[in-house]
Amino acid sequence: MSGQGPAWAILLQKVFGLQGNYPNGLLAFVALFFIYLFLIVPGAWIISYVDRKLGADFQARVGPNRAGPSGFFQPLADFLKLMQKDSQEKITTSDLLWIIVFSSALYSSVAVIPLGSSFLMVDTDLSAFIPFLSALVLALGTMLLGFSRPTVPGWFGAIKVAGQAFSGAFPALISLLTAGIRSGGFRWSHLANSQGASPMDWAAFSNPFQFLALIVFMISGLVMMCLPPMEGVVLPINMNGGVTAHLYGRRWAIFRLGRFYASFLWSLVASVLFLGGWQLPEQVNDLLSDSLILKQSLESILLLSKTFIMMLIVIWVSRVNPRTRVDQVTDFAWKVLSPFALLALVGSAIWAGWGLLI
Amino acid sequence: MGGMGALDMSGSLFSTTLSYLKDVFSSVRSILESCVTAIPYLFSAGENRKEVTEQYPDPISSRTADDLPSRSRGLLFNDIDRCTGCRECEKICPNKSIAIETQSGSDPAKIWVSLFDIDFSKCIFCGLCVEECIPGSLVHTKQYEGAVYVLDDLKASFGRGGVTPEMQARWAANRRTHENEEVGF
Repeated sequence: MSGQGPAWAILLQKVFGLQGNYPNGLLAFVALFFIYLFLIVPGAWIISYVDRKLGADFQARVGPNRAGPSGFFQPLADFLKLMQKDSQEKITTSDLLWIIVFSSALYSSVAVIPLGSSFLMVDTDLSAFIPFLSALVLALGTMLLGFSRPTVPGWFGAIKVAGQAFSGAFPALISLLTAGIRSGGFRWSHLANSQGASPMDWAAFSNPFQFLALIVFMISGLVMMCLPPMEGVVLPINMNGGVTAHLYGRRWAIFRLGRFYASFLWSLVASVLFLGGWQLPEQVNDLLSDSLILKQSLESILLLSKTFIMMLIVIWVSRVNPRTRVDQVTDFAWKVLSPFALLALVGSAIWAGWGLLI
Repeated sequence: MGGMGALDMSGSLFSTTLSYLKDVFSSVRSILESCVTAIPYLFSAGENRKEVTEQYPDPISSRTADDLPSRSRGLLFNDIDRCTGCRECEKICPNKSIAIETQSGSDPAKIWVSLFDIDFSKCIFCGLCVEECIPGSLVHTKQYEGAVYVLDDLKASFGRGGVTPEMQARWAANRRTHENEEVGF
């Protein structure tokens, strides 16, 4: 008899046609496994392919065209190659540290990511902060990676990564608060339900300060996790790659997966906070009120397509603009992003107060 | 220091804020401009917006070695019959990737190139040796696949090999016959 426990557990039991009571822990394990298998890994594949192909088009190159039709299997080929290239270095304690921190950031927040009205495994009052902390942990992992390198570029790169993460965390936090002011809470369901299906009802377009907060949120996430186009600190041109100097093989694969996951997570959270989340039009909701699975699938598809578009915009901007040095990025984050984040916070607060008063 | 006149407002709160906002605005505009500039490239619109990179010549790209430009610099080849053993290529090579050893040949005036080794693991395909080669024996082929499993396989030998005592004896005999013919016995 299904129909007990939280919404996501009921959904999962329906999807697999399970009868009887299964412990929520087991169901959660299965859910996480499927999120990884059908969302994170294919997402990393598609985004890395699209990134390279779009980048090639923008720069009048051909791009991957060998592995499979139009080079679609290039990410798989790269992955298999990286798995074969084993590092000659022994795993030291500091290597172990960054690998553990990095993978824990990768695994821990998967349960938190929102995927639809009934697929919210962690829907607490502080849910929206957990991806933020996860992003900080990813930045910490990158810093530890730098300190584990046996080279001076690694150590300097680690300090740079830490400085950049710190400078991005402040505006990211402030713009997160701005989203919370409008919805009145940081619960995923609160954040989504305070918005509507039509773009006019999205938080980002409800008032100019929320739009400003969206922009600041996206950019500060890129700054915080050293993602393109703010990834000058991990590029080979910066001290032989800084933290990534002499990083290859399986460890490089972990690093790349972490960077994809960071950008995916941040775009997903931005879509939920500012771009209407998974909200379907009311008519569609009424039509689908009987079919939980179909409704949930449509919501997930909507949310993931918004996420994909956000990532595409970031790829577009980063592929056609020059990279910035770490000092330029931190300068920008402290002197431009932070004031605008504060402006958005204050403006949103006044706007919300005005709405209550009148 | 800027006393530009009565209307100079530099350094005031208003003008500093204004210039800050102007900077932010201009950088946003420049980023958006570059995004817009890239759009035609995305759809390969216009004449100059096609891919500019060349495809690696292989069956997938349906280009062959013959499609390479006439002056492309592939692996080197030395026609030892034309080579005079002058060592100009060895001298000009910036990486010392050419090794030449010579002995006197059948005619004392001719040089026998016993060793002519090119180490492609050192060669940078600069083409200086080909330019320097007076008899024109050293040329670039259109071979471009240089990958090998063992490093030593990258050494190409064009030399004739060492002169053996038998060869020397035969040449000496030949020379004697020629000298006798010239004298007219």
